[in-house]
Formats: sequence, C-alpha cells, structure tokens
Amino acid sequence: MKITADTTTKSTGNKKADRRRALTLKPVHMRKLAAIIDVKGRALFSKNFIIMPIFSLGFTFLMQVIYERASGGMAEMNAYALAMGMLMNVSMMGFYCTAASLAEEKEKNTLRTLMTSSVNGLEFFLGSLIPVVLMTEVVNVLCVFIVQMTMSPMQWAAYLAVTTTVSVIASVGGMLLGIFAKNQVSASTLTTPVVLVFMMIPMFTGFSETLQKISMFFFTGIAFDAISNISNGLPAVDVRGIAVLAAEFILSVILFLVLYRRNGFER
Amino acid sequence: MSETYISIDHLSKKYDKDFVLKDVSAVLHSGEILGFLGPSGAGKTTTIKILTGQLLPTSGTAKVLGIDCRKIDERIYEQIGIVTDSSGVYERMTVFDNLKYFARILNVPLENIDPLLKRIGLYDHRKKPASKLSKGQTQRLILARALLHKPKVLFLDEPTSGLDPSTALEIHRILRELKEEGMAIFLTTHNMEEATKLCDHVALLNEGVIVEYGAPEEICLKYNRIKKYRVQLTDGTKHVLIQGSETAGRISSWMNEDKIETLHTCEPTLETVFLEVTGRELQ
Repeated sequence: MKITADTTTKSTGNKKADRRRALTLKPVHMRKLAAIIDVKGRALFSKNFIIMPIFSLGFTFLMQVIYERASGGMAEMNAYALAMGMLMNVSMMGFYCTAASLAEEKEKNTLRTLMTSSVNGLEFFLGSLIPVVLMTEVVNVLCVFIVQMTMSPMQWAAYLAVTTTVSVIASVGGMLLGIFAKNQVSASTLTTPVVLVFMMIPMFTGFSETLQKISMFFFTGIAFDAISNISNGLPAVDVRGIAVLAAEFILSVILFLVLYRRNGFER
Repeated sequence: MSETYISIDHLSKKYDKDFVLKDVSAVLHSGEILGFLGPSGAGKTTTIKILTGQLLPTSGTAKVLGIDCRKIDERIYEQIGIVTDSSGVYERMTVFDNLKYFARILNVPLENIDPLLKRIGLYDHRKKPASKLSKGQTQRLILARALLHKPKVLFLDEPTSGLDPSTALEIHRILRELKEEGMAIFLTTHNMEEATKLCDHVALLNEGVIVEYGAPEEICLKYNRIKKYRVQLTDGTKHVLIQGSETAGRISSWMNEDKIETLHTCEPTLETVFLEVTGRELQ
C-alpha cells in the first residue's frame, strides 16, 4: 500500500531547513499498522478514555428520556436525542481521545520509541485514527438503539456514511491538537474549547438564527441536520453539506500535514 | 575481520550560532564498544541523535551500517537498537506485552521474547504491568526492547545513569556478552569507570570537541608522565614515591624487611586525564 505523505521526524535544529524537507512516498506495512491499531484500540478501554463513550451513551439515554417525556412520546424527538448523542460522541471521542492518546505517547516517551523502532509517521497516524473512528462508530450505532429509532437499510447507510465522515474529520482535528499538546493535561485544555464550539453551536441552533447560520458551515452541524433529514426520509446531506464536509476534511488533512512537516508529532 | 559499522568523519552540529559538536571523527567496528565520555552538555546525546537519524548534522559525514546519516529513514531502525533517556515503556501493558508489541512491529518471532526476558532478568516479572517495575527493571525492559530484533548496532545513552550498582553491573555483563556476539555498541557515559571497564575505544568529549581518542589504557598511559608508586607499610604508614633510583632502593629495602602491605602504580584514570586536558571534571 503506497501512500503520499511525509513521515520524517528529523529535526535540523533549524526551522528553515526543516521546512525544506520534501514530501516523500512511504509504504504502510500492514503488520505494523495492525500492531498499532491493536495497542491503540486496547488503550481506548483504559479508564482514561473509556469514560468518553460511556458518557456519550449515558447522555444519549438521558436525552431520549427527557425528549420522550417532554414531547409525550413523539417519534420525531428520537432523532433529536440521537443527534445530540452523536454530536457529544463525535466531539468527545474524535477530538479528545485522539489528542489525549497522542499526548500520552509524548508524555510517556513512547512516541519516540515507536518512531525509532521502524514505525513511520503515516503508520502511526492511521494506527491512531482507525481505532478511534471505529469506536466512535460503534457508539453511534448503539445510540440508535438507545433512542429506539427504526431505520431502513438505506437510512442506515446514510447514517453510517455521515457519522463516519464526521468522526474522521474530528479525529484528524484531534491529531492536529495533539501535535501541540505535550501531555494529557494540556491535551484536555486544548481540546475543551474546540469540543465546546463544534458541539454546542449545532446543539443550540434552535435558539438562535445566527448560530444556525454558523452551524451550516460546521461538519458537526451538517451531521446534526443529517439525522433529522434521515428521520424524515429526506436525503441526509445536500450538495452544500457535501461540499462543507469535503472542504473541512481536506482542510483538516492539509493543516495536519503542514504542521506535521514542520514539527513532526512533537512540537 | 571486523566490519566498520559506524564511521564519523569531521562531524559538526550548530544550533543557531553555537557549535555543540565540532569536527568529531570516530570509528566503530563490529564486536567493539565505543564510548563517548564527557560531562553533561558535551555533545554526547547530540552525536547519538545524528547517528540515529533524529537530527541532521551541520557539516561532515557519519555513516551507520554504510548509510549516510542524512539519508537515514525508519528502515535503519530494523538494524539498530536505541536506549536513551527518552525511551519509554507502555506503563499499562505488561512486560511481556510491551515486548510483544515491538516484536510485531519489528517482525520478530514471539518465541524469542521469553529467552530474552530470561537473559535480561525480567522473566519472573513478565506478567507485571510496566508501571509496577522499579527504575532498574524499567531500564532493563528498555534494553530488552532495544535488543529484541538482534540489532547490529546498539546505541546506549547513559544506560546506567541513576541505577543501583548491582543493576549497573548486570547491564555491564549483558553488554560484554553482546559485544562477544559481534554487536557494535556505541555508548555515552560520564562514568569513567564504566568507560574504562567496557570500552575498546573512548572519545573524551568536551564542549563538542574530542580532546582525546583511543583505547582507555593507551590514553591513561599517554598521560602517565610522572610515574608514581603508592605504598602502604605494615605499620600503617602510606607513601607516594616518584620513580627513580632512590625510590627503587627504598622499595627494595622495605621488601627485604617484609614491611610492604600494598604496592600500586599510580597511572592516571580517564577522569584525571579529562581534568588535565580540559580543566573540568567529568561528573
């Protein structure tokens, strides 16, 4: 498998020289990638991280109970509870878990050990991203059952496609933040405002037209609206939504590559 | 015939305007231990970082296993092992699982882990989480991880710093065994006893410059300009005598009278050589 990404972590001690480094083709070894995914995946079940999916599931259940009681059992409110839970899950897992996991590797000096054990940057990047996205998706699926929403296979496909896309964007964003975090405490400090912005603005669109306009340009906002559309039997995302998702995915990857080229994983 | 595994030729490294390495040259062959000996800030770790591809030099060349250090990529790490103060372990994972992770990455059969753990003295702790290990045990786990893939060259940055004497001796024993097996070991230390005991060649490094280079014994003898003898007599008195006919006469006389308890030559140590050459102490 050949991938185009720079994976060198060399430092010249001179920023200009670092910037002159060219993007190179690096192979991704499936053996190494599988080992990283295995270890990173198991780390997500440690007490530092498992709280996030549990909290997301609990939050979804709470939203379902609240909206069911408030609406007198209206089925449409299930989709709203699901959208809230999905937003919480994607933001907390995608941003926080990815950033904190990278920060923990730096804090414990295991990142440098990995990088000097023949793991290249792209293998580490994918190995860190894939378990988070998988776990986020598992929780997103469980949320559907918690809110007791029934979906056709097409609706399921649309739901999984949208939530997977936003999970990937949030996780790349988490890796971006992780570059700047030297330990788990600073990862938490860095991700909190980002999580709040990307989670709260779509959540409160019902209260403000301005927030609604802003939310239309957030990948989390697109996903939030997509669940409502799916529930109403409409296309999950329109052309503008697809454009926003694509643009934010490309932007997050470019930003990550620029920062990675300049700093490696360690700022 | 031993192969050249590392060749350093007029290597320099500059940070901003300050040189941290100046015109450093050295060679390391298979089955040898080369020690870079110097105080903190002498440039030892910088040298290791350049040789392992983590830092680019400003000028000069360095080759590891025939590969220019400027062209090193992650593939080199399948042939070298690194132990530095920035080597970490996965604390939540057991000793065995730590090694299993790297065995999978480095394509090492898992059956090799237990014999390595026995050799390194961690077999009884293999099911223990790494967070529960003592500092010495953690350092041995880091060493085991570096040895897992049987590297041709092992880089050790102050491997026994802060360890208790028995753990340090155990690590010395392992290093001597590895050397006998043909591994080339690049060692940095500020412990002159360690360098004298282990190294085939040492480079005394001060402020980025090699001030002396050679076999430890040769270096010490080179600076043994005023030959002295330290004598302790049976009555408890101690004497330091400078070589000469008068000293020879006194020692001969004490020997005839069976008065000598101990008799030692007083050639300089690497520490005193370093002090003489640089005016600074190693520690």
